[in-house]
Amino acid sequence: MIGGEPAIHTEGLGRDYGAVRALDSLDLDVPPGALVGLLGPNGAGKTTAMLLLATLLAPTRGSARIFGHDTVRERRAVRRRLGLVFQETSVDGLLTVEENLRFAGRLAGLGGRELRGAVATAIERAGLGPRAREPVGRLSGGWRRLADIARATLHRPDLLILDEPTVGLDPEHRELVWRILASERRERGTTILFSTHYLSEAEPAECVVLLSRGRAVANDTPTALRAAVGAEVAEIEGPGAERLVRALRGLGATTAVLRTEQGYRVGIGGPREAVVELAGGAPGIERLALRPATLEDAYFASTQDGAA
Amino acid sequence: MSAGSAIYGIVARDLARTTRQTSRFLGGLVRPFMWLLLVGTGYNAIARLESGLPYYAFVFPGIVVMASLFGAMLTAIGTVYDREFGMLRLMLASPAGVPAVLAGRATAAALVGIVQGGVVLACAGLILDVTVGQWVTALGVLVLASAVSALLGLLVAARLRSVENFAGVINLVLFPLLFVSGALYPTAGMPAPLRLLARVNPVTYQVDLLRRAFGQPAEFTLATELLALVAATLLAFTLTALLFDPEQRFVGSRRGNGKR
Repeated sequence: MIGGEPAIHTEGLGRDYGAVRALDSLDLDVPPGALVGLLGPNGAGKTTAMLLLATLLAPTRGSARIFGHDTVRERRAVRRRLGLVFQETSVDGLLTVEENLRFAGRLAGLGGRELRGAVATAIERAGLGPRAREPVGRLSGGWRRLADIARATLHRPDLLILDEPTVGLDPEHRELVWRILASERRERGTTILFSTHYLSEAEPAECVVLLSRGRAVANDTPTALRAAVGAEVAEIEGPGAERLVRALRGLGATTAVLRTEQGYRVGIGGPREAVVELAGGAPGIERLALRPATLEDAYFASTQDGAA
Repeated sequence: MSAGSAIYGIVARDLARTTRQTSRFLGGLVRPFMWLLLVGTGYNAIARLESGLPYYAFVFPGIVVMASLFGAMLTAIGTVYDREFGMLRLMLASPAGVPAVLAGRATAAALVGIVQGGVVLACAGLILDVTVGQWVTALGVLVLASAVSALLGLLVAARLRSVENFAGVINLVLFPLLFVSGALYPTAGMPAPLRLLARVNPVTYQVDLLRRAFGQPAEFTLATELLALVAATLLAFTLTALLFDPEQRFVGSRRGNGKR
């Protein structure tokens, strides 16, 4: 039973590396059991935010609490509730899967029968049974990552912090990773904070935080973030695209304008008929496509330099 | 309870890793015998020691200390590999935290030092006339010497930023500690500055204490040897705790590649 405190609560959380402001100010409230995606381009501050929450970095400013425990003053209490997955797998290639899990269990304070049971369950849950006695160094990247996930969930933490847990994995292993995480949530109500560059992975999240240059530029449900871009997105290509975009802006029909390699992506805020009619008579338009807004549109609208 | 469990886990992992790096482990076991054979044979032909001891008998305690020093220090310095490849942050994020990580690494490194020195020590009867009592005392000295060497290794690792510096550490730290310790030749004949260095070198007192355990003439008093080793242990532990920066891995990598 997790209790009434938020799983994560941060106020103005920030961190500098010398003169570099890696994370400016992050305000976050995550209820227990939530699935939260932390999205943003490389260098946006995602990893720094996660290391701060994981007590592995001290904040330069602001504060963070995990289930009510301060990440600086009550590190030990915070760490008892955490399971961590970093971008690079944290498993020892010289040890077998089973030995790695035993090592992780002992670090978490488990021992004896409790440890043996936890290791056996984690191996079974991750489908690592046939590979349990193999040195991790001999496993493929996908199975190594699953061993890493088994390691992080072995002690059944209340909060899982995962920094790009599926980076570099094939679709089969990505699905296996998310299946394990989904069962953690279903069975134990585990709170999950994850970062990813695969935006489709953030669609099932209850909340998505978009980070750009160390600041949270959006924080809402995927549905609300998509809606903020507009009901639909127009993809406009051709030499006359810029002129059409200016005209649409003049109509007040745009919510967001993104420059792409081929032309523009425009969030449509007004009635689509007016847009179609205006575009139909515009010269130099080679392609005009209207489609529902995606999380990717919301991502680019919030984080891209050229967004308007 | 969680600290004890974490320390046990770290020690078990380190020992498993040590025995699986077969060539490195066997190299560590064979190295002292090669020194004993090659250096010992060469010097035995020309060395005339004031004590009247044959050179083999004189150098044997030094070779035991050398085996322990290299085994313990190199294992402890291996912490830098864990920092580089991400295992250290896993340990640092455990509830037990930094003290358990340092204690676990120091214990594992000391055990490796004891094993590597112990293999040489087990052959003492082939070189020296030793009683069971002397052998047991020497084993006790080996345990103390390995603990000191393990902590010295952790002290080096506390600020070592990358594995690329590993070879430099061996040349600039391990060899000077060994050569300026009286392990291979008496410090009495050294120039004054080197003699002074030998006096502040903890390995000097390890060697002297082990010679005493074998009933050979010692340069310092027993109290001096013990005091020096206890002081070195406390100093190395305190400095390691102060210098060990849990954030180093993250901050270093971010300054280096701009990743956030």
